[in-house]
Amino acid sequence: MSQDEHWQRVHPASPFVRGWLAIVGLLYIYWQNTDELSLAERFAGDRLIWTVALAGAALLVVLVFYFLSWYFTRYKLTSSHVYVNSGTIFRSQKQARIDKVQGIDIAQPLLARLLGLAELRFDVADSSESLLRLAFLSKADAHALRQLILQRAAGQAASEQPATAVEAAGEAAPLMAKVPATRLLASLFLQLPVVIGTLACVAIVILWLSGVQGIIAAVLPILLSFGGWFYKQLNQGWNYTASASDTGMRISYGLADTRQHSIPAGRVQAISVTAPLLWRLLGWYKVEVNVLGTKSDDLDNLQVLPVGDFESVARIMGILLPDLGIGNQREVLSTAVSTGYEHGFTGSPSRARALSPGAWKHQGFLATGTTVISRYGWLARTASFVLHARVQGTEFRQGPWEQKRQLAGVRLYCAGGNIIGYLHQVDAQVAAEFTLAQAARQVER
Amino acid sequence: MTPTIPWSPNSFTPADPAYFKVKLTTWAVAWGLVLLASLVPGVLLATGVKVAPWLAIIPAALVLVIALLVLRILRRQVQALGYLEREEDFVVRSGVMWRKQLVIPYGRMQYVEVNSGPVERRYGLCQLTLNTAGAGATAHVYGLPEAQGQALRERLVAAGEEKML
Repeated sequence: MSQDEHWQRVHPASPFVRGWLAIVGLLYIYWQNTDELSLAERFAGDRLIWTVALAGAALLVVLVFYFLSWYFTRYKLTSSHVYVNSGTIFRSQKQARIDKVQGIDIAQPLLARLLGLAELRFDVADSSESLLRLAFLSKADAHALRQLILQRAAGQAASEQPATAVEAAGEAAPLMAKVPATRLLASLFLQLPVVIGTLACVAIVILWLSGVQGIIAAVLPILLSFGGWFYKQLNQGWNYTASASDTGMRISYGLADTRQHSIPAGRVQAISVTAPLLWRLLGWYKVEVNVLGTKSDDLDNLQVLPVGDFESVARIMGILLPDLGIGNQREVLSTAVSTGYEHGFTGSPSRARALSPGAWKHQGFLATGTTVISRYGWLARTASFVLHARVQGTEFRQGPWEQKRQLAGVRLYCAGGNIIGYLHQVDAQVAAEFTLAQAARQVER
Repeated sequence: MTPTIPWSPNSFTPADPAYFKVKLTTWAVAWGLVLLASLVPGVLLATGVKVAPWLAIIPAALVLVIALLVLRILRRQVQALGYLEREEDFVVRSGVMWRKQLVIPYGRMQYVEVNSGPVERRYGLCQLTLNTAGAGATAHVYGLPEAQGQALRERLVAAGEEKML
C-alpha cells in the first residue's frame, strides 16, 4: 500500500490535549495577579487594550509552540516499520519493526475522549526502553491504523509460522466477560481493606462530630492515599469488557481515561485467580496475569477480570490457558479455585495446622502435564497457574518452624509481574521430590 | 531414606573458606557502627547530660547480644553457601535457619555478572550473580576465588547460549 509510505501528521488538536494545562496556567497567573480588580475594571479604558494585547501575545506564543509541536510530529508506516518523529528543538526519531509488534493499545485520556481522539501505544518485543507512542489520531483513524499494522504484523509472521492468524477487527468478537457498575462497586466495598477503611472513616467522622477537631488533619494523608487506591480500582474495572481475539483476548476499561489492551495468550507468563474473604460468599473471583511488555506504565499485575463468577473465569482461562495439561479441565479448574483434593491435588498435612490455622486446609498443589496449579492464602485465597515452560526459577524453602514439622515450601518465579507459583507448607519430602521433578520438567523442550 | 531436601548439601561446591573473613569484616564494621550509636546515651551521661540510666545500658547490651548471636551463626552461614552445576540447570543453596535451594535452567539466563567489593578483593574473592527475566529468580554465588568466578561465568554463558530455549 503505497499511499501510506509518506509522512503523515497527527491530529491538529493533539498539542492542545497534551498542553492544555499551559493555557489554564496562564489564565490562573493572570487571575492571581489581578484579583484586586473587579470584572468591570479589568475590561475598561486603558486596561482593556493592555489586556487584549497581552492575551493576544500569550495566545500567539502558545499557538506557535503548539503549531511547531504539531508540525514536527510525523509518522510513517512502511511495509516493515512504523516511524514516529517528534520534538521541535530536541528531535526524537523512533521506529518499531512491524514484525516485532506484539500488540497495540488504544488509550484515551479524558480530554482526548471528549474530542474523539485516541493514542496508540506500541508494545514491541525487543525494545525494553522507551515505549513507542503515537498521539493523537481521530478515534476511527487510530482503530484503522491499529488494524492495518496488526494485519501486516500477522501477515509477516504468517510467512514464518503459518498458524498465526489475523486479529479480528473487534467486529463480532465473542464477549467473554462484562462487569456491570453495580457489581464492581459491590465488589470494591466487599474487600477487607475497603471495609476497614470505611469503618475508619465513620469512626473519624464520629470523633470529629464529638469535638476532636485535629483528627481530620491527622488522617487526611491516609484518606487521600486510600482514595487514590480506590479510584484506581474503580477506573480499572469501570465499563470493563473482555472479548476473545484470534491471538488471545482484548480488554477495555476506564472511567475518565479509557484503555484498550490486547493480551496475546502466548505472552502470558502466569495467571492468578483470587477470591477475597467476603467475595467467597458470593462466588466471585478476580483474575490477574503476569504478561511481558504491555503494561508499560506500572509494575502491577494486569487485571484481566476485576470481578466475575466462575463461568467468566472458566471462559477467560479457556482463552489464556487452553491446555491445562489434564483431562476434564473444568472440574480441575473448579477444584483449583475452591478447596478440595479431587483430581490429584496434594494438600498440606495436618502438621501445618499450627503454622497456618486458617489456610492449611486450602493450601495445595497439582502438577499437570503443562502447568503447576498452586493454592495458598488465608483471607484472600489465591490459585496460581504457572506453565512449566515459563518458570524462570524454582526455589525450595524451609524455615525453622517448618523444619521442625517436616514441612517445606516451593516458589516458582515468573517474569512480567509478581504472580508466583507457591507450594506452601507441604510435606518436606513431597516438596523435595517436586523440586527435582520440576527442575526436570522446566528444561523440557 | 528419601531426602527431605532436593539436593544433598554435600554435592555443592562450597564457598571459599576465606569468605568467612569477608563476612567477619562486614560484620565488624556494621555492628561496630550500631554499637557506637547505642553508646551515645552513655557518653552523654558521662559528660553530665541528664539521661535516664537505663537508656545508657539496655540498648548497648541488646546490640552486643544480637551481634554475638549473629557472629555465632556466621561461620555456619558461610558453610551453607554453595553452587551446583548440572547438565541442564544451575543450583545455588544458602541459609542455616531458612534453608533455600534455587534451581535455574541455563536456558532462562539473561545475563551473568561478576562483582567484587574492596573487602572481597583483599581476599582475592568475587561474587557472581545470575539474572533471569523473573524478579525472584536471581542466583547469587558468594565467596568465589577470582579465577574460579571468571571460569564459572564463562561456563555459564556458554551453557546459556547452548541451551537457549
